[in-house]
This record gives sequence, C-alpha cells and structure tokens, in this order.
Amino acid sequence: MTTASSVLLYAVFAVGGAAVYAMAPKGEAPRRGLTTILVLAALGGFIAFLFTQFPVAHAERVCFAVFALIAVGSSARVITHSKPVYSAIYFVLTVVAVAAMLVLSGAEFLAAALVIAYAGAILVTYLFVIMLAQQPGSPVYDRRAREPLLAILTGFMLAALISHRVMVGEGAGNTANSGATGITASASLGNTVGIGAIVMTQYVVALEIAGLLLLMSMVGAIALSRKKVEKEYHESPAAALGLAGREAPPF
Amino acid sequence: MIGLADYLIVGAILFALGVAGFLCRRNLIVIFLSTEVMFQGVILTAVGFARFHRHLEGQAFALFLLVIAAVEAGLALGLVMLLYRRRRTLDAEAWSVMRG
Amino acid sequence: MLDFESTRGLALAVVFGPLLGAIAAGVLGPRVLRAGTHFAAILGVGVAFAASVILLLRLQGASADQSSIVIPLFDWIAGAREPLVRAALLIDRLTGVMLVTVTGISLLVVIYSRDYMRDHGHAVRGYERFFAFLALFVFSMCMLVLGGNFVLLYLGWEAVGLCSYLLIGFYYEKPSAAAAANKAFIVNRIGDFGFGLGLLLIYLTFGTWEYGPVFEMVQRGVTATGAAVGQGTLTAIALLLLCGACGKSAQFPLHVWLPDAMEGPSPVSALIHAATMVTAGIYMIARCGAIFTSSATAMSIVAGIGAFTALMAATIAIVQTDVKRILAYSTISQLGYMVLGIGVFAADSALFHLFTHAFFKALLFLAAGSVMHAMGGVIDFRNFGGLKKVLPWTFSLFLVGSLALAGFPLLSGFFSKDEIIHHALQANKLLGGMAIVTAALTAFYTFRMFFRTFSGPLRTPPGVHAHESGGWMIFSMAVLALGALFAGYAGTHITGQPFHKSLEPVFASTFLTANPFHASHGAATAHGGFLGEYGLMILSGAIALLGILAAYVLYVQQPWIPGLIRATFTKTYEFLWRKYELDEAYDVVVVTPLRGLGRFFVGWDDYFIDGLIWIVTVVPRAAAFGLRAFQSGFLQSYALTMVAGLVIIVLLAAWN
Repeated sequence: MTTASSVLLYAVFAVGGAAVYAMAPKGEAPRRGLTTILVLAALGGFIAFLFTQFPVAHAERVCFAVFALIAVGSSARVITHSKPVYSAIYFVLTVVAVAAMLVLSGAEFLAAALVIAYAGAILVTYLFVIMLAQQPGSPVYDRRAREPLLAILTGFMLAALISHRVMVGEGAGNTANSGATGITASASLGNTVGIGAIVMTQYVVALEIAGLLLLMSMVGAIALSRKKVEKEYHESPAAALGLAGREAPPF
Repeated sequence: MIGLADYLIVGAILFALGVAGFLCRRNLIVIFLSTEVMFQGVILTAVGFARFHRHLEGQAFALFLLVIAAVEAGLALGLVMLLYRRRRTLDAEAWSVMRG
Repeated sequence: MLDFESTRGLALAVVFGPLLGAIAAGVLGPRVLRAGTHFAAILGVGVAFAASVILLLRLQGASADQSSIVIPLFDWIAGAREPLVRAALLIDRLTGVMLVTVTGISLLVVIYSRDYMRDHGHAVRGYERFFAFLALFVFSMCMLVLGGNFVLLYLGWEAVGLCSYLLIGFYYEKPSAAAAANKAFIVNRIGDFGFGLGLLLIYLTFGTWEYGPVFEMVQRGVTATGAAVGQGTLTAIALLLLCGACGKSAQFPLHVWLPDAMEGPSPVSALIHAATMVTAGIYMIARCGAIFTSSATAMSIVAGIGAFTALMAATIAIVQTDVKRILAYSTISQLGYMVLGIGVFAADSALFHLFTHAFFKALLFLAAGSVMHAMGGVIDFRNFGGLKKVLPWTFSLFLVGSLALAGFPLLSGFFSKDEIIHHALQANKLLGGMAIVTAALTAFYTFRMFFRTFSGPLRTPPGVHAHESGGWMIFSMAVLALGALFAGYAGTHITGQPFHKSLEPVFASTFLTANPFHASHGAATAHGGFLGEYGLMILSGAIALLGILAAYVLYVQQPWIPGLIRATFTKTYEFLWRKYELDEAYDVVVVTPLRGLGRFFVGWDDYFIDGLIWIVTVVPRAAAFGLRAFQSGFLQSYALTMVAGLVIIVLLAAWN
C-alpha cells in the first residue's frame, strides 16, 4: 500500500466517524442534512477506496460492496437511533445484509440460520422486552448518548487499525484471491450437508455442549423471570441516577 | 474477486460499530443490541476465513457463535427485566453504586 | 598543717548542711513543719556557719604555704582515658573568708525572716517555700565558693542565678515581681553567655578545668601543648570572664536587673543582692587573678568599668524615692568600688570592702524591711516621714548602717572605702577622682534617705498602724550593726591588717607581684605613702561629713531647697529619674528585636512548616481526586477503558 492510500483509508474512516457522531442522539435537534451528507460521504468514500485497491471486474464484488454498505449503514443506525424500537428494526436489516453476504460466500445454511434465529427469534424477544420495559415518551437516556466522542473515537481507531493491518498483510500477498465460487470440501453435496457432516462428526462434542448451553439458558431465563424483585426506589428514578462520583472536593 | 481483506474489513467495521454503540448508549436494551452487532461482525470474519482456507470449520464456528448469541440474548434480556423491575428505568447510569 | 580528713568533713558539712536543710524545708515543710519550717533552715545554715568558722580558724592556724588544699571528691564526667571533669573542692584562705561571710550573713537573714515572713504572727503563704529556697541558695553559693575547678564554679554560678530568680519572684502572683525575676535571670544569662565562652576558651587553650594547673600555665605563659599562649587569648579570656562578673555583680551595662530585683522580700535583698550573690563576680575575678593580671588591657577595662559604674549608680541614687531602690543603686555603686579595687591590683582591699559592705548593706536592707513591715508594705519615702518616734530600734540601727555606708570616720565603711580610694589615686588620677566624687555622693544620698524617712513630723500612709519589729528581727540587725561598727578593725594599720595578711598567700603570685603601681603592697611599707594615707583618711572623713551635712541642710533645715533645685534642673532631674533611660535602650536594642524574631519564628512554624506538611497531605488527596474519575461506577466507563487499552496494544503491535 502506498502512503497516499493509507492516508485515504484513514481519512475515510475519519469521515465515517464524524458521520456516526453526527447521527448519535445528543439530546438536541438532529441535523439531518449534515448527517445524511456525512453518511453518504463515508460510504461513498469507502466504496471508492475499495475500487482503487481492487480491479473492478466482477459483479460479485459489486454485490458484496452493496450489501456491505447496507450492513454498515444500518448497524450505524442501530447504535445511533434514539428510539430502541427503531434500533431493533435496523438491526434486522443488518442481519439480512449479513446473511446476503454469507450467501455470496457460499454459506447458505448459515445465512438461513442467521435469518431464522436472529431476525426471527432473538429480535422478536428484544422487541417484546422493549415493549414491556418502555417508558412513556422519550426518556433522557435514549435521547442523550453518553460521551459519544470517546466511544466512537475508540471504536473507529480500532476499526482503522485492524483494517490497516489487514491491508498491509494484503499487500504482502498473504491473502490471495480465494476460490472463485466458494469451493468447499464437499461442494458436490451442497453447503448444508457439508456443515451437517462436519458438525456431527468432528465437532459433535461442541454440538452437545451447545445444546446444553441452550438448556441452561432456558432454565436460567425461567428462574430469572420468576424471581420476586421488590421495587427499589430511591427518591425518584431521575434522582436515582445521581451524578458521576466527582463532586467530593479534596480540600 | 472478493478477497479475504474485504470480509475482514467489513467485519472489523461492524465490530467497531458494535463497540461504539456499547460504549455510548444508555439504554440497557440498546447496549445488548450493540453486542449483537458485534456478533455479526465476528460471524462475517469467521465465514471469510472459512472461505479463504477452503474449509468449513469457520462456518461451524459461526454456527456455534449463533448459539451463544441466542443464549446470551435470552439471559441478558431476563436480567434487564429484573433490573427494570428494581429501578423502573432502563438507564445504565442508574447502576453506579460502586463509584469512588 | 591542714588535716585532710577533717577538712573534707568540714567542707562537706558546709555544702550539705544547707542542702539538707533545703530538702527538709521543701519536703517536710508544707505538711509536717509548717510554721516551724524556719528551724530546718536555721539548722542547716547554722551547721554550715559553724563548720565555716572552724575551717577559717584552722586555715589561719596553718602556715602560709600550707594554707591551701584541694579535696577531690569523685570523677564526674568520664572521658576516653581519663575523666573529663572531676568534682573537687579547693579550700584556701580566700575560700575561708568568703564562706564565713556568706554563711554568717545567711544565718542572720534566716533568723530575721522568721519574723519578717509573718503577718501579725501568722506565717505568710509560701513560708515553707521561702526557707527552702533560701537554704538552697546558701548551698549554691557555698558550692560556687568551694568549687575546685571551673565547671563547679559555673555550676554554682548558675545555681545562684536560679535561686535568685526563684526568690525575686517569690510573690509570683504580682506581675511586676514575675517580670523582675525574668529580667534578673535573662540579664544574668547575657553575662553568663560571655562567661561560658570564656570557660570554653580556657579549656581549649589549657586543656583542663582545674584551677591549679590553669593558673600555673597562665603564669608560665604556656598552653596545654607547651606552645606560648598569646596575649590576645589571655585578654580575650579575661574579658569574657568579666562579662559574667558584670552580669552577676551588676556592673554597667548589665546592672539593670538589680533595682527591679527589689520586688523580692527584704531578707532576699539583704542576703542575695547585698552581701552574697552579687559578690560572686568579685570572688571570681579574685580567684582568677592569674588570668586577669596577665593582661594589662583587661585590668584597665575592669578598673574603668568599676569606677564608671560606681559614679553612675550614685548619680541615679540621689533622685530616687524608693528606699530599697536607693539601697540597690548604692549596692551597684559599692560593687563598682570593689571592681575598681581589683582593677588597680588591690584585690585584698576589694575583698576587705566586700567583707565590711556585707555587714552594713545587709543591715540597711533588713532595717528597710523593718520600715516596710511597719508601713504595711509601702517603702516610698514620699508616703511617710518622721518615723523616729514610732520605730526607735529601727532608727538606731538604720543610723549605724547609714553612717557605715557613708564612710563616717572610724566605722567599717570608712576604712575599707578609704583603702580603695588610695589605691585608685595611686593608679590613675581620673579614677581616683571619680572614686572621691562617688564617696561624696554616697554620703549625700544615704543621709537624704535617712532624714526623709526618720526626721521631721510623723507621717504614715493612711490606715497603717506603725509598730516596732519583733525580737528576732531586732536581734539579727543588732548583730549586723556590731559588725558594721567594728568589722573595719580587721583591716586597719593599727591592728596590723590581719585581714589583708591572711589573704596574702592567695594573692602572692598574682595581684601583689604584678602590681605596676606599687612595688610591694602591704601594711608595713611606708615610702612616703604612710603620711599620704593619713592625709587621705582625713580627706575622706571630711567628705563624708560634708555629704551628711549637705543632706541635713537640704532635707531637715531648709526643705524647700530640693524643690528649687529640681525646678531649675528639670531636664537633668528627669534623665536621672529615668535611670539614664537604659531600660528603654535595652527595650529597643534587645527586647523588641528578640520579640520580633520570636514572632517571625511563630509565623515560620505556622506557615512554612505547616505548609510543608500540608503539601504532604494534599498530594495524595489531589491524586485521589484525579483518580476518582476512573471509578465512576458505570459499566460503560470500564468497558471504554478496556477497549482503549486494546486499541493501544494493537497500535503498539502494528507499529513494531
């Protein structure tokens, strides 16, 4: 990778961070225009970057890029939307996009499992809980993010670093273009059979343990939900929030 | 062609977004939702490696990840319900008793 | 031949008698003896007096070169190979004379105090304390005199200073008394500082504390290592020792404590500030004669200070109105005489004057105490007069003392003072002139005091019923009066000057031989001075009578004259009344800067030291305040820290 490309990579990530920051609920009126521009700029910049690095030839790549964009964009909305229901819905979109990318990699079974388990079960559970634990109106903890700058800075530094390392490794030729069509060990039988075979033979212990875990989770959830919890009010929920522990003076 | 780097980078971005969301949202449920986003990133990475190395171990790993995610979601939401019942609020900052 | 065992026994009796008396008075007094505590003191001091007299007789009986003996007691401070300081007593003729004077006057004062410290027959508050301190003082003074080396001298020196402080501040609830006690101790301390430096210089130069070796080395002119000792060193030692003498014997400029010390009871003034403690300085210079006579500069300074102090104190005394204060200035003046005597190499004359002065000054103080007792505590003669009728005994005894002090012919003071004037004239005409003027003033102010107190119409302070003193007081004063009348004959030419002869062995090698003004000193030599001495005697007698006559005219016959003089010379009068404003000068030069220094250090302690401690405490608290931000209690803060750490690790890994 050339220096200019590295700089472009970091710049794209910076814009992406700014976009997410602009999207984060800060308790004031969201600046929709700025937010939209930043998001589009980030996504577009990323696609442009990718195209500078890799030759544009295959539809596969374009599809992958589109689905990647959808995934990234919707997960950005997951974490920045001020209403939790919307976050959950956007998450469904993320899951669908990821499932699409999995299909592109030849992991159809996993894609289907993802959609069924995540979007079908987990997200529905989340939505139920959101509905059960909802506060009227828009409570303050949904409207304001907690120190968004630091959080986003950290996250994006992480992402940029990992990506940089990956790209450096890429330049050294570590990751050659792998199989054109996602060839697996037993391509002739299809992905599902392949996974079934491998799970049932090589990783059967892990499978059993996974089942056990699921059982434990079920028991635990039932036990938790039956627990009698008395209300612990302080003065009021707002007062129970308190301040950060910085108010005691040292002198 | 889609290279390994693409999977890894997108996975990294999803993971990073999940981390950022975990760190900056105050709603307990959204915090757990962010962990689910992190899971997505990891699944993508695992599958990318599976494709690169031309085997199915990565996909099996991703399958087990799915199981873990489901388990975690169930228990986490149960705990969130308990916490909500105690303080009648979903604010993560309500639980700062161990402050110095 | 002095017997070692018995001499040691006598010396120890002199030392321990008063000490045991003090302990008995202090321990048994408050509970057991109470109003009989004076017996413990009388017994203790009496034992010391008896032992001193026997000691003196033995010393006189021994031949001249056998009359000095050193009695080692024990090793006090151990050194590496040999002891650094030994406790030893030196007994010679000088010691004998001093001991008899001290213990004799002390015994009479203790007897007097039995009546004085009573209010209508009941013992005053602190009766036991008084006798305990008095006996303790006698012990300290005897230690000073008996000490055989410089360390014991310093021990006794400080101890008498302490007892003086305790006794001046006897009426400690009176602020002026407490302040006077402080002043005495602190001014003494200033002198003692120089004294201590002198002692250290002696040790550094000569390597030993014992009198004998040090004086022998001084006279040979060598130091401990055998090298020649510098003249500057000897002069420095002498001047530093003189500092101590000025402090203890109230010479200029350290005389300011003595007038204020009159806040103590009259017996204390009589004993300590007339006869014994203030003479410690004279004794010390006489004892260290070898050191002083080796430096002509030092001797000149000694003589100058003595003469100046004598004249200055006399001029202050002529305007004072408090009887005890007049007597205090008179003491300073007479001590100046003694110092002058030593300064002109007439040490035996100085000690003779010390001897006679002890009698008549103690008598005068006790008589003043008697007046004070009768006048209900008032002693300023502006408030009373004409007491001759109501206090006949006191009148006669006071008269005897006054005549002796004024130098009336044929009384003790006449002989001793005359000798000093004679030697002063021989040495230096200016000093002699100052001595003569002082003698005139002495006679004048003494009888001014006497006539104002006892002559004229009877006046008493309102509400006071004047009565004569009790038997014990009269007895003591009578004995002292006998001494004032006849003690002078111990030193006259007619009787062969036994006093001076007995001290010859002590001063043989020092004052007598080093005297530059007189080839040989002694009663027998005449060389034209004999007739001159008689002429001087007549002159002194005439001066005394003139002074008495002037006082009589001014204060009995024509009492309007002093008022006229005062109106004419108002400025001078005021200046003398305020004692040449020396106390104010001290205040500005010494006291105020020291107070300021004290305040500075208080501030230093409060702000700087406490500030340092504050800094030590503040650092952890500030650190805690800063670090507390990390312990917010929010899960997400901790998660943030974790992720930040992860980012840093990846960063470090990526860049290596």
